Amino acid sequence: MPEHDVERFERIILPHLDDAYTLARYLVRDSHAAQDVVQDAALRALRYFDGYRGGDARAWLLSIVRNVSLTWRQRTAGDAHTVDIADIGVAGGHETDAAAIESSERERIVGAIESLPEEFREIIVLREIEELSYKEISTVVGVPVGTVMSRLARGRKRLAALLGVGVEEAG
Amino acid sequence: MRCDTCRELLNARIDNELPAAEVADVDQHLASCATCTAEYRLFAQTHRTLSEAHLRYTAPDLLKARIRGAIAQERHEAPSVRRTRPWWRFAAAGIVIAAMSSALTFAVTRPSGTPVANDLVASHVRSLQPGHLTDIVSTNQHNVKPWFNGRVDVSPPVMDLAQQGFTLVGGRVDYVGGRTVPVVVYARRQHYINLYAWPVADAAPADPQTSMRNGYNLMSWRSQGIQHWAVSDLNARELAELVKALRTM
Repeated sequence: MPEHDVERFERIILPHLDDAYTLARYLVRDSHAAQDVVQDAALRALRYFDGYRGGDARAWLLSIVRNVSLTWRQRTAGDAHTVDIADIGVAGGHETDAAAIESSERERIVGAIESLPEEFREIIVLREIEELSYKEISTVVGVPVGTVMSRLARGRKRLAALLGVGVEEAG
Repeated sequence: MRCDTCRELLNARIDNELPAAEVADVDQHLASCATCTAEYRLFAQTHRTLSEAHLRYTAPDLLKARIRGAIAQERHEAPSVRRTRPWWRFAAAGIVIAAMSSALTFAVTRPSGTPVANDLVASHVRSLQPGHLTDIVSTNQHNVKPWFNGRVDVSPPVMDLAQQGFTLVGGRVDYVGGRTVPVVVYARRQHYINLYAWPVADAAPADPQTSMRNGYNLMSWRSQGIQHWAVSDLNARELAELVKALRTM
């Protein structure tokens, strides 16, 4: 690959590795697997970089991450997860009370998102966390905008139920 | 506007995805419909709960380093082979080229073995920072060894050396000398020992050699097509004990 293409790739694509990793974490739900997915996706992105025709580089990278994640999920369906030091670390008790409450609230929400069926989960993550537009989500996932909207509505409804959102007002 | 039409547009209203004209229609309907308003609040509150919860992750530094390293390697490859020819014709050649180029990288850029020693010491020091030592924590060799499957291209020796006074701590994958390598971690007293391994196709076996760098002791040896390195702040005599135990088991 020509030098200037590699430099352009580093400038345009590499700033989005946190976003790529975030999407992979929610799709494969394992930190090691997510790292493998992102590395694989980044190298594929480099390989197919001449097929990138401008537009939102982040959405382009995320669509590759999504494809690699799906392949990974299919390949490893049913495998047991290994023990993860990051998961062990969570038990450590160095946090202040406020931080502990905040992080347990975060864990509760992460758990709710991870429990969603994949077709809703990916839409929720792309909208609520990656903050993509409906149009971009439609491109990344490969479904019409109308489908994005209906899946988003159903995903939010499920999350509302899981998290008890709106219960106070209703009760 | 009817209720069912309004319902379909509520999320688009929240996400600022509606044209101005439709925003007015939806808002007008909401002003007069308690049921749709309740639904709107449920969606809006769910959206707010998620957006306030800091749900993003940060990619680990090691992952970023690995990707940058892989890109740097790609940069040195010939530009034409990859895209312009049928993949199958060059797949076999590609494997050979990849194997040769990584061998060459080592041969050319690491003539005396010293830069890789620098990498190893840097990796060792980095591993001692909190949370960097191990990706898998286990004192059981039967947990650690299979963990490397699919993560690296070599299966490193993982042994129970408790009898010899070395505790197996766990393993991780690290990036050293331009490649991803398995690292097995042992401990003796308060000292950690990092053991690195990578394949060196047809290099002749070599007996352990001891060296020192920045106050750390290093030992390297080759056997059965694998290059091994041990790095630790443990004294050279005890490090040699570990290497001997590894080689005789």
